[in-house]
Amino acid sequence: MLEIRSARKVFYKGQADEKVALDGLNLSLATGEFGVVIGSNGAGKSSMLNAISGALVLDSGQIVINGDDVTATPVHKRAMRLARVFQDPMRGTAASMTVAENMLLAELRSNKRTLRRGLNSRRLATYRERLSLLGLGLENRLDTRVELLSGGQRQSLSLIMAVGGEPELLLLDEHTAALDPRTADIVMQATIRAVEALKLTTLMVTHNMQHAVDFGHKVIMLDAGRVRLEIDGKEKAQTTVPDLIGHFSVKTDRMFLAS
Amino acid sequence: MDILQNTFASFVSLVPVTLAQSLILAFVVLGIMIPFRMLSFPDLTSEGAFPLGGCVCGVLMAAGMSPLAAIAIALVAGFLAGCCTAFIHLRFRIHTLLAGILMMTMLYSINLRIMGRSNLSVFGAPTVFDWAPGLQPGFPASKIVVAGLIALIVFFLLYHFFRTEKGTAVRAVGANPDMAEAQGINVWLATIGGVGLAGAFSAAGGALMVQSQGFADVNMGLGILINGLAALMIGEAIVGKQSVARQLAAPFVGAIVYYQLVSFCLAAGMPPPDLKLATGLFVLAMLALPSLKRSRGPAPARETVRE
Repeated sequence: MLEIRSARKVFYKGQADEKVALDGLNLSLATGEFGVVIGSNGAGKSSMLNAISGALVLDSGQIVINGDDVTATPVHKRAMRLARVFQDPMRGTAASMTVAENMLLAELRSNKRTLRRGLNSRRLATYRERLSLLGLGLENRLDTRVELLSGGQRQSLSLIMAVGGEPELLLLDEHTAALDPRTADIVMQATIRAVEALKLTTLMVTHNMQHAVDFGHKVIMLDAGRVRLEIDGKEKAQTTVPDLIGHFSVKTDRMFLAS
Repeated sequence: MDILQNTFASFVSLVPVTLAQSLILAFVVLGIMIPFRMLSFPDLTSEGAFPLGGCVCGVLMAAGMSPLAAIAIALVAGFLAGCCTAFIHLRFRIHTLLAGILMMTMLYSINLRIMGRSNLSVFGAPTVFDWAPGLQPGFPASKIVVAGLIALIVFFLLYHFFRTEKGTAVRAVGANPDMAEAQGINVWLATIGGVGLAGAFSAAGGALMVQSQGFADVNMGLGILINGLAALMIGEAIVGKQSVARQLAAPFVGAIVYYQLVSFCLAAGMPPPDLKLATGLFVLAMLALPSLKRSRGPAPARETVRE
Protein backbone atom coordinates (compact mmCIF):
# COMPACT_ATOMS: atom_id res chain seq x y z
CA MET A 1 0.00 0.00 0.00
CA LEU A 2 1.19 3.47 -0.88
CA GLU A 3 -0.04 6.74 0.56
CA ILE A 4 1.09 10.24 -0.26
CA ARG A 5 -0.24 12.79 2.19
CA SER A 6 -0.33 16.48 1.26
CA ALA A 7 3.09 16.38 -0.34
CA ARG A 8 4.53 19.78 -1.16
CA LYS A 9 7.71 20.67 -2.97
CA VAL A 10 8.78 24.05 -4.29
CA PHE A 11 11.85 24.49 -6.47
CA TYR A 12 13.86 27.75 -6.45
CA LYS A 13 11.88 28.99 -3.48
CA GLY A 14 11.78 32.78 -3.17
CA GLN A 15 13.38 33.31 -6.55
CA ALA A 16 11.85 34.78 -9.67
CA ASP A 17 11.55 31.36 -11.31
CA GLU A 18 9.92 29.70 -8.30
CA LYS A 19 8.16 26.52 -9.35
CA VAL A 20 5.64 24.60 -7.32
CA ALA A 21 6.26 20.98 -8.32
CA LEU A 22 3.96 19.31 -5.83
CA ASP A 23 1.13 21.32 -4.37
CA GLY A 24 -0.44 19.37 -1.51
CA LEU A 25 -0.62 16.16 -3.49
CA ASN A 26 -2.71 13.35 -2.00
CA LEU A 27 -2.74 9.89 -3.48
CA SER A 28 -3.33 6.39 -2.25
CA LEU A 29 -2.86 3.03 -3.84
CA ALA A 30 -4.14 -0.18 -2.25
CA THR A 31 -1.98 -3.27 -2.02
CA GLY A 32 -1.91 -5.03 -5.36
CA GLU A 33 -3.43 -2.06 -7.14
CA PHE A 34 -2.00 -0.87 -10.48
CA GLY A 35 -2.22 2.89 -10.91
CA VAL A 36 -1.45 4.68 -14.16
CA VAL A 37 -0.33 8.30 -13.86
CA ILE A 38 -0.85 10.71 -16.73
CA GLY A 39 -0.43 14.45 -17.06
CA SER A 40 1.25 17.02 -19.24
CA ASN A 41 4.90 17.97 -18.92
CA GLY A 42 5.60 19.78 -15.68
CA ALA A 43 2.49 18.40 -14.00
CA GLY A 44 4.61 16.87 -11.26
CA LYS A 45 4.74 13.22 -12.34
CA SER A 46 8.51 12.86 -12.10
CA SER A 47 8.66 14.89 -8.91
CA MET A 48 6.08 12.55 -7.41
CA LEU A 49 8.03 9.43 -8.35
CA ASN A 50 11.26 11.00 -7.08
CA ALA A 51 9.53 11.88 -3.81
CA ILE A 52 8.33 8.30 -3.44
CA SER A 53 11.75 6.81 -4.20
CA GLY A 54 13.49 9.30 -1.92
CA ALA A 55 15.53 11.10 -4.57
CA LEU A 56 13.50 14.25 -3.86
CA VAL A 57 13.15 15.54 -0.29
CA LEU A 58 9.70 16.99 0.35
CA ASP A 59 9.20 20.44 1.89
CA SER A 60 6.24 19.04 3.78
CA GLY A 61 3.92 16.04 3.67
CA GLN A 62 4.42 12.33 4.09
CA ILE A 63 5.12 9.21 2.09
CA VAL A 64 3.77 6.03 3.66
CA ILE A 65 4.53 2.56 2.32
CA ASN A 66 2.62 -0.34 3.85
CA GLY A 67 1.89 1.66 6.97
CA ASP A 68 5.46 2.84 7.56
CA ASP A 69 6.30 6.50 7.23
CA VAL A 70 9.38 6.58 4.97
CA THR A 71 9.49 10.36 4.44
CA ALA A 72 12.87 10.67 6.14
CA THR A 73 14.34 7.38 4.86
CA PRO A 74 17.26 7.77 2.40
CA VAL A 75 17.06 6.34 -1.11
CA HIS A 76 19.22 3.29 -0.51
CA LYS A 77 17.14 2.20 2.48
CA ARG A 78 13.84 2.72 0.68
CA ALA A 79 15.22 0.51 -2.07
CA MET A 80 14.56 -2.48 0.19
CA ARG A 81 10.85 -1.83 -0.33
CA LEU A 82 10.54 -0.40 -3.80
CA ALA A 83 11.96 -0.94 -7.25
CA ARG A 84 12.02 1.51 -10.12
CA VAL A 85 12.41 1.31 -13.88
CA PHE A 86 13.56 4.55 -15.45
CA GLN A 87 12.68 5.97 -18.84
CA ASP A 88 16.33 5.97 -19.88
CA PRO A 89 17.59 2.37 -20.26
CA MET A 90 21.06 3.64 -19.28
CA ARG A 91 19.97 4.68 -15.82
CA GLY A 92 18.59 1.43 -14.51
CA THR A 93 21.56 -0.79 -15.23
CA ALA A 94 25.30 -0.71 -14.63
CA ALA A 95 26.66 -0.54 -18.18
CA SER A 96 30.20 -1.77 -17.58
CA MET A 97 29.05 -4.80 -15.61
CA THR A 98 27.69 -8.06 -16.94
CA VAL A 99 24.06 -9.11 -17.18
CA ALA A 100 24.57 -11.60 -14.35
CA GLU A 101 26.22 -9.01 -12.12
CA ASN A 102 23.32 -6.63 -12.70
CA MET A 103 20.88 -9.38 -11.77
CA LEU A 104 22.92 -10.02 -8.62
CA LEU A 105 22.79 -6.36 -7.63
CA ALA A 106 19.03 -6.40 -8.03
CA GLU A 107 18.65 -9.61 -6.05
CA LEU A 108 20.65 -8.08 -3.20
CA ARG A 109 18.47 -4.98 -3.20
CA SER A 110 16.40 -6.19 -0.26
CA ASN A 111 19.03 -8.43 1.35
CA LYS A 112 22.11 -7.82 3.38
CA ARG A 113 25.28 -8.03 1.29
CA THR A 114 27.86 -10.43 2.68
CA LEU A 115 31.48 -11.28 1.95
CA ARG A 116 30.47 -14.52 0.28
CA ARG A 117 31.01 -15.13 -3.42
CA GLY A 118 28.41 -13.15 -5.35
CA LEU A 119 27.78 -15.13 -8.52
CA ASN A 120 27.49 -18.80 -7.68
CA SER A 121 26.13 -21.54 -9.91
CA ARG A 122 22.79 -21.66 -8.10
CA ARG A 123 22.23 -17.98 -8.71
CA LEU A 124 23.34 -18.17 -12.33
CA ALA A 125 20.82 -20.94 -12.95
CA THR A 126 18.04 -18.85 -11.42
CA TYR A 127 18.96 -15.83 -13.51
CA ARG A 128 19.04 -17.92 -16.66
CA GLU A 129 15.57 -19.19 -15.94
CA ARG A 130 14.13 -15.78 -15.14
CA LEU A 131 15.64 -14.13 -18.20
CA SER A 132 14.42 -16.89 -20.49
CA LEU A 133 10.85 -15.76 -19.74
CA LEU A 134 11.49 -12.65 -21.81
CA GLY A 135 12.28 -14.66 -24.92
CA LEU A 136 15.03 -12.24 -25.97
CA GLY A 137 17.91 -14.68 -25.63
CA LEU A 138 19.37 -12.79 -22.67
CA GLU A 139 19.66 -16.07 -20.78
CA ASN A 140 22.59 -17.02 -23.03
CA ARG A 141 24.35 -13.70 -22.55
CA LEU A 142 24.84 -13.66 -18.79
CA ASP A 143 28.52 -12.77 -19.18
CA THR A 144 27.89 -9.99 -21.70
CA ARG A 145 28.46 -6.49 -20.51
CA VAL A 146 25.20 -4.58 -20.45
CA GLU A 147 26.58 -1.74 -22.59
CA LEU A 148 26.62 -4.17 -25.52
CA LEU A 149 22.88 -4.82 -25.31
CA SER A 150 20.28 -2.88 -27.28
CA GLY A 151 18.04 -0.34 -25.54
CA GLY A 152 15.13 -2.75 -25.56
CA GLN A 153 17.19 -5.56 -24.10
CA ARG A 154 18.52 -3.29 -21.41
CA GLN A 155 15.06 -2.06 -20.52
CA SER A 156 13.75 -5.64 -20.40
CA LEU A 157 16.64 -6.50 -18.11
CA SER A 158 15.80 -3.48 -15.91
CA LEU A 159 12.24 -4.74 -15.68
CA ILE A 160 13.25 -8.28 -14.72
CA MET A 161 15.65 -6.80 -12.17
CA ALA A 162 12.92 -4.61 -10.72
CA VAL A 163 10.22 -7.25 -10.35
CA GLY A 164 12.68 -9.93 -9.24
CA GLY A 165 12.65 -9.34 -5.51
CA GLU A 166 8.85 -8.90 -5.44
CA PRO A 167 9.12 -5.30 -4.20
CA GLU A 168 6.38 -3.84 -2.04
CA LEU A 169 6.04 -1.09 -4.62
CA LEU A 170 7.00 -0.94 -8.29
CA LEU A 171 7.58 2.44 -9.94
CA LEU A 172 7.59 2.60 -13.73
CA ASP A 173 8.73 5.95 -15.05
CA GLU A 174 7.67 6.10 -18.73
CA HIS A 175 9.70 2.96 -19.07
CA THR A 176 8.68 2.24 -22.67
CA ALA A 177 8.90 5.81 -23.96
CA ALA A 178 12.46 5.56 -25.26
CA LEU A 179 11.90 2.32 -27.18
CA ASP A 180 10.74 1.61 -30.72
CA PRO A 181 7.05 0.59 -30.93
CA ARG A 182 7.69 -3.14 -31.32
CA THR A 183 10.17 -3.35 -28.43
CA ALA A 184 7.97 -1.07 -26.35
CA ASP A 185 5.18 -3.55 -26.87
CA ILE A 186 7.35 -6.50 -25.78
CA VAL A 187 8.47 -4.66 -22.63
CA MET A 188 4.92 -3.56 -21.87
CA GLN A 189 3.56 -7.11 -22.23
CA ALA A 190 6.31 -8.42 -19.98
CA THR A 191 5.46 -5.72 -17.45
CA ILE A 192 1.78 -6.62 -17.39
CA ARG A 193 2.55 -10.35 -17.07
CA ALA A 194 4.88 -9.77 -14.14
CA VAL A 195 2.64 -7.28 -12.36
CA GLU A 196 -0.39 -9.56 -12.66
CA ALA A 197 1.46 -12.74 -11.75
CA LEU A 198 3.09 -11.24 -8.67
CA LYS A 199 0.17 -8.92 -7.78
CA LEU A 200 2.58 -6.01 -7.37
CA THR A 201 1.46 -2.64 -6.14
CA THR A 202 2.45 -0.56 -9.15
CA LEU A 203 2.55 3.07 -10.14
CA MET A 204 3.22 3.65 -13.83
CA VAL A 205 3.80 7.06 -15.40
CA THR A 206 3.01 7.20 -19.08
CA HIS A 207 2.35 9.62 -21.91
CA ASN A 208 0.70 6.87 -23.90
CA MET A 209 -3.07 7.30 -23.49
CA GLN A 210 -3.76 3.92 -25.03
CA HIS A 211 -1.68 2.29 -22.28
CA ALA A 212 -3.55 4.32 -19.68
CA VAL A 213 -6.84 3.04 -21.05
CA ASP A 214 -5.76 -0.57 -21.57
CA PHE A 215 -3.83 -1.26 -18.40
CA GLY A 216 -4.19 -0.77 -14.69
CA HIS A 217 -7.02 -0.48 -12.22
CA LYS A 218 -6.92 3.25 -11.87
CA VAL A 219 -5.99 6.31 -13.89
CA ILE A 220 -4.60 9.27 -11.97
CA MET A 221 -4.23 12.54 -13.79
CA LEU A 222 -1.87 15.13 -12.37
CA ASP A 223 -1.97 18.82 -13.10
CA ALA A 224 0.11 21.59 -11.52
CA GLY A 225 1.33 19.37 -8.73
CA ARG A 226 -1.98 17.94 -7.58
CA VAL A 227 -4.38 15.17 -8.57
CA ARG A 228 -6.87 16.58 -11.02
CA LEU A 229 -8.78 13.42 -11.78
CA GLU A 230 -9.01 9.84 -10.58
CA ILE A 231 -10.88 7.24 -12.59
CA ASP A 232 -11.21 3.69 -11.32
CA GLY A 233 -13.46 0.65 -11.32
CA LYS A 234 -16.25 0.48 -13.84
CA GLU A 235 -15.74 4.01 -14.98
CA LYS A 236 -12.16 3.20 -15.90
CA ALA A 237 -13.32 0.26 -18.02
CA GLN A 238 -15.51 2.53 -20.10
CA THR A 239 -13.00 5.32 -20.56
CA THR A 240 -11.61 5.88 -24.03
CA VAL A 241 -8.57 7.72 -25.29
CA PRO A 242 -10.49 10.81 -26.46
CA ASP A 243 -12.13 11.00 -23.01
CA LEU A 244 -8.73 11.18 -21.35
CA ILE A 245 -7.35 13.70 -23.79
CA GLY A 246 -10.42 15.83 -23.19
CA HIS A 247 -9.32 16.28 -19.60
CA PHE A 248 -6.01 17.85 -20.50
CA SER A 249 -6.00 21.61 -20.25
CA VAL A 250 -3.17 21.84 -22.76
CA LYS A 251 -3.21 19.34 -25.58
CA THR A 252 0.02 18.46 -27.27
CA ASP A 253 0.63 16.73 -30.56
CA ARG A 254 2.46 14.02 -28.71
CA MET A 255 -0.74 12.83 -27.07
CA PHE A 256 -2.58 12.58 -30.35
CA LEU A 257 0.31 10.81 -31.94
CA ALA A 258 0.41 8.34 -29.10
CA SER A 259 -3.29 7.62 -29.22
CA MET B 1 78.00 -0.66 -31.17
CA ASP B 2 80.00 0.12 -28.10
CA ILE B 3 77.47 2.65 -26.85
CA LEU B 4 74.65 0.21 -27.38
CA GLN B 5 76.48 -2.50 -25.51
CA ASN B 6 77.25 -0.17 -22.64
CA THR B 7 73.65 0.98 -22.44
CA PHE B 8 72.42 -2.58 -22.46
CA ALA B 9 74.91 -3.73 -19.86
CA SER B 10 74.08 -0.93 -17.43
CA PHE B 11 70.36 -1.54 -18.00
CA VAL B 12 70.68 -5.25 -17.25
CA SER B 13 72.71 -4.60 -14.13
CA LEU B 14 69.91 -2.36 -12.89
CA VAL B 15 67.09 -4.83 -13.60
CA PRO B 16 66.89 -6.37 -10.08
CA VAL B 17 67.02 -3.02 -8.27
CA THR B 18 64.38 -1.59 -10.57
CA LEU B 19 62.21 -4.68 -10.16
CA ALA B 20 62.30 -4.34 -6.37
CA GLN B 21 61.41 -0.67 -6.65
CA SER B 22 58.59 -1.30 -9.11
CA LEU B 23 56.98 -3.99 -6.93
CA ILE B 24 56.84 -1.49 -4.08
CA LEU B 25 55.49 1.30 -6.27
CA ALA B 26 52.89 -1.09 -7.68
CA PHE B 27 50.92 -0.46 -4.48
CA VAL B 28 50.72 3.22 -5.34
CA VAL B 29 49.52 2.33 -8.85
CA LEU B 30 46.92 0.10 -7.22
CA GLY B 31 45.94 3.05 -5.02
CA ILE B 32 45.46 5.13 -8.17
CA MET B 33 43.62 2.42 -10.12
CA ILE B 34 40.94 1.62 -7.53
CA PRO B 35 39.35 5.09 -7.40
CA PHE B 36 39.83 5.72 -11.14
CA ARG B 37 38.53 2.45 -12.48
CA MET B 38 36.48 0.75 -9.78
CA LEU B 39 34.79 3.87 -8.38
CA SER B 40 34.95 6.39 -11.29
CA PHE B 41 36.44 8.79 -8.76
CA PRO B 42 39.49 10.47 -10.36
CA ASP B 43 41.61 10.94 -7.28
CA LEU B 44 44.89 12.71 -6.56
CA THR B 45 45.18 11.81 -2.89
CA SER B 46 47.96 9.30 -3.55
CA GLU B 47 50.39 12.17 -4.20
CA GLY B 48 49.93 13.05 -0.51
CA ALA B 49 49.13 9.62 0.90
CA PHE B 50 52.37 8.10 -0.43
CA PRO B 51 54.69 10.47 1.51
CA LEU B 52 52.23 10.33 4.43
CA GLY B 53 52.77 6.58 4.67
CA GLY B 54 56.50 7.12 4.34
CA CYS B 55 56.67 9.80 7.04
CA VAL B 56 54.50 7.89 9.50
CA CYS B 57 56.53 4.73 8.94
CA GLY B 58 59.85 6.61 9.19
CA VAL B 59 58.99 8.30 12.48
CA LEU B 60 57.73 5.08 14.03
CA MET B 61 60.79 3.12 12.90
CA ALA B 62 63.06 5.83 14.29
CA ALA B 63 61.17 5.45 17.57
CA GLY B 64 62.05 1.76 17.54
CA MET B 65 58.69 0.26 16.55
CA SER B 66 58.63 -3.06 14.70
CA PRO B 67 58.60 -2.60 10.90
CA LEU B 68 55.31 -4.46 10.46
CA ALA B 69 53.50 -2.34 13.07
CA ALA B 70 54.92 0.81 11.44
CA ILE B 71 53.47 -0.27 8.09
CA ALA B 72 50.13 -1.08 9.70
CA ILE B 73 49.86 2.39 11.25
CA ALA B 74 50.96 4.04 8.00
CA LEU B 75 48.19 2.05 6.32
CA VAL B 76 45.59 3.42 8.73
CA ALA B 77 46.87 6.98 8.20
CA GLY B 78 46.55 6.56 4.42
CA PHE B 79 43.06 5.11 4.83
CA LEU B 80 41.96 8.16 6.80
CA ALA B 81 43.46 10.50 4.18
CA GLY B 82 41.49 8.73 1.44
CA CYS B 83 38.31 8.86 3.52
CA CYS B 84 38.77 12.63 3.96
CA THR B 85 39.07 13.19 0.21
CA ALA B 86 35.92 11.17 -0.46
CA PHE B 87 34.06 12.95 2.33
CA ILE B 88 35.07 16.41 1.03
CA HIS B 89 33.75 15.44 -2.40
CA LEU B 90 30.48 13.92 -1.17
CA ARG B 91 29.56 16.37 1.56
CA PHE B 92 30.56 19.66 -0.05
CA ARG B 93 30.06 18.59 -3.68
CA ILE B 94 33.59 19.64 -4.57
CA HIS B 95 35.01 18.02 -7.69
CA THR B 96 37.00 14.88 -6.91
CA LEU B 97 40.17 16.28 -8.47
CA LEU B 98 39.94 19.51 -6.47
CA ALA B 99 39.19 17.55 -3.30
CA GLY B 100 42.32 15.50 -3.98
CA ILE B 101 44.46 18.60 -4.58
CA LEU B 102 43.18 20.15 -1.34
CA MET B 103 43.96 16.96 0.53
CA MET B 104 47.46 16.51 -0.85
CA THR B 105 48.33 20.16 -0.19
CA MET B 106 47.16 19.88 3.39
CA LEU B 107 48.95 16.57 3.77
CA TYR B 108 52.28 18.23 2.89
CA SER B 109 52.07 20.31 6.07
CA ILE B 110 50.83 17.35 8.05
CA ASN B 111 53.73 15.23 6.82
CA LEU B 112 56.20 17.93 7.88
CA ARG B 113 54.51 18.08 11.29
CA ILE B 114 54.69 14.33 11.68
CA MET B 115 58.41 14.19 10.95
CA GLY B 116 59.33 17.54 12.45
CA ARG B 117 61.79 18.11 9.61
CA SER B 118 61.93 17.53 5.89
CA ASN B 119 63.78 14.24 5.92
CA LEU B 120 64.66 11.48 8.32
CA SER B 121 67.18 8.68 8.03
CA VAL B 122 66.15 5.26 9.34
CA PHE B 123 69.11 3.48 7.85
CA GLY B 124 70.04 0.37 9.81
CA ALA B 125 66.66 0.01 11.52
CA PRO B 126 65.05 -3.42 11.06
CA THR B 127 62.76 -3.67 8.02
CA VAL B 128 60.32 -6.26 6.69
CA PHE B 129 62.86 -7.04 3.98
CA ASP B 130 65.18 -8.56 6.62
CA TRP B 131 62.72 -11.40 7.02
CA ALA B 132 63.14 -12.91 3.57
CA PRO B 133 64.14 -16.52 4.29
CA GLY B 134 67.61 -17.61 3.21
CA LEU B 135 68.55 -14.32 1.63
CA GLN B 136 71.04 -11.73 2.66
CA PRO B 137 69.14 -8.66 3.91
CA GLY B 138 69.55 -5.38 2.10
CA PHE B 139 69.95 -6.85 -1.36
CA PRO B 140 67.40 -6.52 -4.17
CA ALA B 141 66.57 -10.23 -4.03
CA SER B 142 65.13 -10.01 -0.51
CA LYS B 143 63.14 -6.93 -1.48
CA ILE B 144 61.79 -8.65 -4.58
CA VAL B 145 60.72 -11.68 -2.58
CA VAL B 146 59.03 -9.76 0.24
CA ALA B 147 57.38 -7.09 -1.91
CA GLY B 148 56.36 -9.70 -4.48
CA LEU B 149 54.82 -11.87 -1.80
CA ILE B 150 52.84 -8.97 -0.36
CA ALA B 151 51.74 -7.99 -3.88
CA LEU B 152 50.50 -11.54 -4.55
CA ILE B 153 48.56 -11.67 -1.29
CA VAL B 154 46.99 -8.25 -1.92
CA PHE B 155 46.08 -9.23 -5.48
CA PHE B 156 44.27 -12.39 -4.40
CA LEU B 157 42.51 -10.71 -1.50
CA LEU B 158 41.25 -7.91 -3.75
CA TYR B 159 40.32 -10.35 -6.50
CA HIS B 160 38.13 -12.27 -4.08
CA PHE B 161 36.72 -9.15 -2.46
CA PHE B 162 35.56 -7.62 -5.73
CA ARG B 163 33.68 -10.79 -6.58
CA THR B 164 31.81 -11.03 -3.29
CA GLU B 165 28.38 -9.53 -2.79
CA LYS B 166 29.85 -6.47 -1.09
CA GLY B 167 32.60 -6.10 -3.69
CA THR B 168 30.13 -6.27 -6.56
CA ALA B 169 28.14 -3.50 -4.85
CA VAL B 170 31.27 -1.32 -4.62
CA ARG B 171 31.91 -1.79 -8.34
CA ALA B 172 28.30 -0.88 -9.09
CA VAL B 173 28.85 2.48 -7.37
CA GLY B 174 31.62 3.17 -9.87
CA ALA B 175 29.63 1.90 -12.84
CA ASN B 176 26.40 3.81 -12.16
CA PRO B 177 25.92 5.58 -8.81
CA ASP B 178 22.23 6.36 -9.40
CA MET B 179 21.50 2.76 -10.19
CA ALA B 180 23.58 1.57 -7.23
CA GLU B 181 21.60 3.77 -4.89
CA ALA B 182 18.31 2.56 -6.37
CA GLN B 183 19.50 -1.00 -5.70
CA GLY B 184 19.90 -0.23 -2.02
CA ILE B 185 23.63 0.37 -1.99
CA ASN B 186 24.94 3.03 0.37
CA VAL B 187 26.91 5.13 -2.11
CA TRP B 188 28.56 7.23 0.59
CA LEU B 189 29.84 4.25 2.50
CA ALA B 190 31.14 2.49 -0.61
CA THR B 191 32.87 5.62 -1.94
CA ILE B 192 34.48 6.59 1.35
CA GLY B 193 35.55 3.02 2.04
CA GLY B 194 36.85 2.50 -1.49
CA VAL B 195 38.85 5.72 -1.72
CA GLY B 196 40.08 5.08 1.83
CA LEU B 197 41.29 1.65 0.76
CA ALA B 198 43.12 3.24 -2.15
CA GLY B 199 44.76 5.75 0.20
CA ALA B 200 45.82 2.87 2.42
CA PHE B 201 47.57 1.16 -0.51
CA SER B 202 49.36 4.37 -1.50
CA ALA B 203 50.52 4.83 2.08
CA ALA B 204 51.64 1.21 2.25
CA GLY B 205 53.72 1.85 -0.87
CA GLY B 206 55.29 4.86 0.86
CA ALA B 207 56.02 2.88 4.02
CA LEU B 208 57.65 0.04 2.07
CA MET B 209 59.64 2.58 0.08
CA VAL B 210 61.03 4.15 3.24
CA GLN B 211 62.03 0.75 4.58
CA SER B 212 63.62 -0.09 1.25
CA GLN B 213 65.63 3.12 0.77
CA GLY B 214 66.38 3.78 4.43
CA PHE B 215 65.07 7.32 4.68
CA ALA B 216 61.84 9.29 4.59
CA ASP B 217 61.41 12.58 2.79
CA VAL B 218 58.40 14.91 2.58
CA ASN B 219 59.08 15.40 -1.13
CA MET B 220 59.12 11.70 -1.96
CA GLY B 221 55.64 11.90 -3.48
CA LEU B 222 56.49 14.53 -6.06
CA GLY B 223 55.19 13.34 -9.42
CA ILE B 224 54.28 9.88 -8.15
CA LEU B 225 50.73 10.30 -9.47
CA ILE B 226 51.77 10.84 -13.07
CA ASN B 227 54.26 7.97 -12.82
CA GLY B 228 51.46 5.81 -11.44
CA LEU B 229 49.05 6.84 -14.17
CA ALA B 230 51.63 6.08 -16.84
CA ALA B 231 52.24 2.68 -15.25
CA LEU B 232 48.51 1.99 -15.06
CA MET B 233 48.02 2.82 -18.73
CA ILE B 234 50.87 0.59 -19.78
CA GLY B 235 49.45 -2.19 -17.62
CA GLU B 236 46.00 -1.83 -19.10
CA ALA B 237 47.45 -1.78 -22.60
CA ILE B 238 49.20 -5.08 -21.86
CA VAL B 239 46.69 -7.10 -19.83
CA GLY B 240 43.49 -5.17 -20.61
CA LYS B 241 40.71 -4.26 -18.23
CA GLN B 242 37.77 -6.36 -19.37
CA SER B 243 37.52 -8.42 -16.20
CA VAL B 244 38.15 -7.89 -12.52
CA ALA B 245 41.27 -10.06 -12.63
CA ARG B 246 42.76 -8.17 -15.55
CA GLN B 247 41.92 -4.80 -14.07
CA LEU B 248 43.60 -5.79 -10.82
CA ALA B 249 46.65 -7.25 -12.54
CA ALA B 250 47.16 -4.10 -14.65
CA PRO B 251 48.75 -1.98 -11.86
CA PHE B 252 51.31 -4.67 -11.04
CA VAL B 253 52.23 -5.49 -14.62
CA GLY B 254 52.22 -1.81 -15.53
CA ALA B 255 54.47 -0.80 -12.64
CA ILE B 256 57.00 -3.51 -13.49
CA VAL B 257 57.15 -2.60 -17.18
CA TYR B 258 57.05 1.16 -16.65
CA TYR B 259 59.96 1.32 -14.22
CA GLN B 260 62.07 -0.95 -16.43
CA LEU B 261 61.33 1.44 -19.30
CA VAL B 262 62.39 4.40 -17.18
CA SER B 263 65.53 2.56 -16.15
CA PHE B 264 66.27 1.84 -19.79
CA CYS B 265 65.83 5.49 -20.77
CA LEU B 266 68.21 6.56 -18.01
CA ALA B 267 70.73 3.92 -19.00
CA ALA B 268 70.50 5.16 -22.57
CA GLY B 269 71.64 8.55 -21.38
CA MET B 270 68.47 10.49 -20.84
CA PRO B 271 69.13 13.23 -18.26
CA PRO B 272 67.09 12.47 -15.09
CA PRO B 273 65.58 15.99 -14.89
CA ASP B 274 63.83 15.35 -18.23
CA LEU B 275 62.08 12.28 -16.86
CA LYS B 276 58.95 14.05 -15.62
CA LEU B 277 58.50 15.83 -18.95
CA ALA B 278 58.84 12.54 -20.79
CA THR B 279 56.39 10.79 -18.47
CA GLY B 280 53.93 13.67 -18.74
CA LEU B 281 54.12 13.63 -22.52
CA PHE B 282 53.59 9.88 -22.51
CA VAL B 283 50.45 10.14 -20.33
CA LEU B 284 49.20 13.00 -22.50
CA ALA B 285 49.72 10.92 -25.62
CA MET B 286 47.88 7.95 -24.12
CA LEU B 287 44.96 10.19 -23.10
CA ALA B 288 44.90 12.00 -26.43
CA LEU B 289 45.07 8.88 -28.55
CA PRO B 290 41.33 8.00 -28.49
CA SER B 291 40.29 11.54 -29.43
CA LEU B 292 42.90 11.73 -32.19
CA LYS B 293 41.68 8.44 -33.61
CA ARG B 294 37.99 9.30 -33.33
CA SER B 295 37.49 12.90 -34.21
CA ARG B 296 37.75 14.63 -37.50
CA GLY B 297 36.68 18.23 -37.22
CA PRO B 298 36.73 20.42 -34.17
CA ALA B 299 36.30 19.04 -30.70
CA PRO B 300 33.35 20.24 -28.61
CA ALA B 301 34.03 23.54 -26.86
CA ARG B 302 34.05 21.86 -23.47
CA GLU B 303 34.13 18.25 -22.62
CA THR B 304 33.75 16.49 -19.32
CA VAL B 305 36.97 15.30 -17.71
CA ARG B 306 38.13 12.17 -19.43
CA GLU B 307 39.31 9.10 -17.51
